[in-house]
Amino acid sequence: MALLQVKGIQKKFGSTQVLKDISFTLEQGQVLAIIGSSGSGKTTLLRCLNFLEKADSGEILVAGKPADRRQFGLVFQNFNLFPQYTALQNVTLAPTLLDIGDKEQIRRRGEALLRQVGLEDKLEAYPWQLSGGQQQRVAIARALAMQPEILCFDEPTSALDPELTEEVLRVIRGLKQKNHTMIVVTHEMAFAKSVADVVIYMADGVIEEMGTPEEVFDDPQSEKTKGFLTRREI
Amino acid sequence: MDVFTSVTLQLLEGFGETLKVFALTLVFSLPLGLVVCFGSMSRWKPLRALVRGFIWIIRGTPLMLQLMVIFYGPGLMFGMHSLPRFTAVIVAFSINYACYFAEIYRGGIESISQGQWEAGQVLGMNRGQIFFRVVLLQVAKRILPPMSNEIITLVKDTALARIIAVYEVTWAGESFIKSGLVWPLFYTGAFYLLFNGLLTILFSRLEKKLSYFRG
Repeated sequence: MALLQVKGIQKKFGSTQVLKDISFTLEQGQVLAIIGSSGSGKTTLLRCLNFLEKADSGEILVAGKPADRRQFGLVFQNFNLFPQYTALQNVTLAPTLLDIGDKEQIRRRGEALLRQVGLEDKLEAYPWQLSGGQQQRVAIARALAMQPEILCFDEPTSALDPELTEEVLRVIRGLKQKNHTMIVVTHEMAFAKSVADVVIYMADGVIEEMGTPEEVFDDPQSEKTKGFLTRREI
Repeated sequence: MDVFTSVTLQLLEGFGETLKVFALTLVFSLPLGLVVCFGSMSRWKPLRALVRGFIWIIRGTPLMLQLMVIFYGPGLMFGMHSLPRFTAVIVAFSINYACYFAEIYRGGIESISQGQWEAGQVLGMNRGQIFFRVVLLQVAKRILPPMSNEIITLVKDTALARIIAVYEVTWAGESFIKSGLVWPLFYTGAFYLLFNGLLTILFSRLEKKLSYFRG
């Protein structure tokens, strides 16, 4: 059975239908890249998965059961780190408040996660002392600390300078190697092509095209997809 | 006893009362302001409208008038016993300042980006945890300058207590005019200046203490 099953998600903001009958599945350990122009509904879809928006109708199942918020993690475009806490405190705050293990255990796990994203020397740094790329890596460690089944990224490198983008993408590639299931909304086409197992192209609230990176990027069936990819000059 | 000593003693006595009004008003209005603030931000429209209307009345009329209404009102309107004078002062000041604080709190809370709430939410924290563990300190840092302004104003507003015959330092200073002494008025001013100077130092220390983070 697929780890994630999304069935017929609909979402309206006022009179605008933002998501129209979105359905797809994702296997354990797979990386799904969602591409599309702004306003296509891809961020709204991610927010529905993370319970930040409530879908008007449809089902989200994880391992066959209705999804729980805690099964999803989300990394934001603007990091949204907590400014008054150090990198380590950012990572350990939620596990501490939600009582996931004892204090010492949580701290050691937090340190291990920050080491995993290459920030073992920044444990005590406050967000303002970190570069954008470093902040985003702390945010990834923070999301991982809650041990989500599916980790979602909302344009994780859009707020970063090109030279900082690569360090974040490297971390995401590393997570794929560790068999994390991930959904990445991204504008980085080359990255989507190289790291994703499945690519979804969204336009006007529908899944216009879905397939392997080869299928979507090299042999798109829909005219809209062709147009989008041409404009992106892949 | 020379004149200076007797003036000093009397002003000190008055200033003791001033400090009492100041401290008790803060004790009640700081938390009450938070309640008023939450009311004014309620998602339930009738409550929000009611609280905002109340804030409008309190901020839109003189504190001196409110003092009179709270002290004389119950007796004249409903034939009830009046509150003791000092209690009436604390009630009026606390309500008045709670409304000002509420608006400062609201401005501070609304200035925190939605992303902070959402980051807490996706990590599984509930609204209370997000408010107290993530948002509150950021709000405190941002509202410190307007709060210090308001609190320094409160020190001076305590002089209004005399309108319902509650003794305080300005009244004490004024009482020497009938003996032809003007300098006690300046001496009275020195009490306010000294105390507000201390408050200013305290607030700048607090600001420094919260300068370890940005946001």
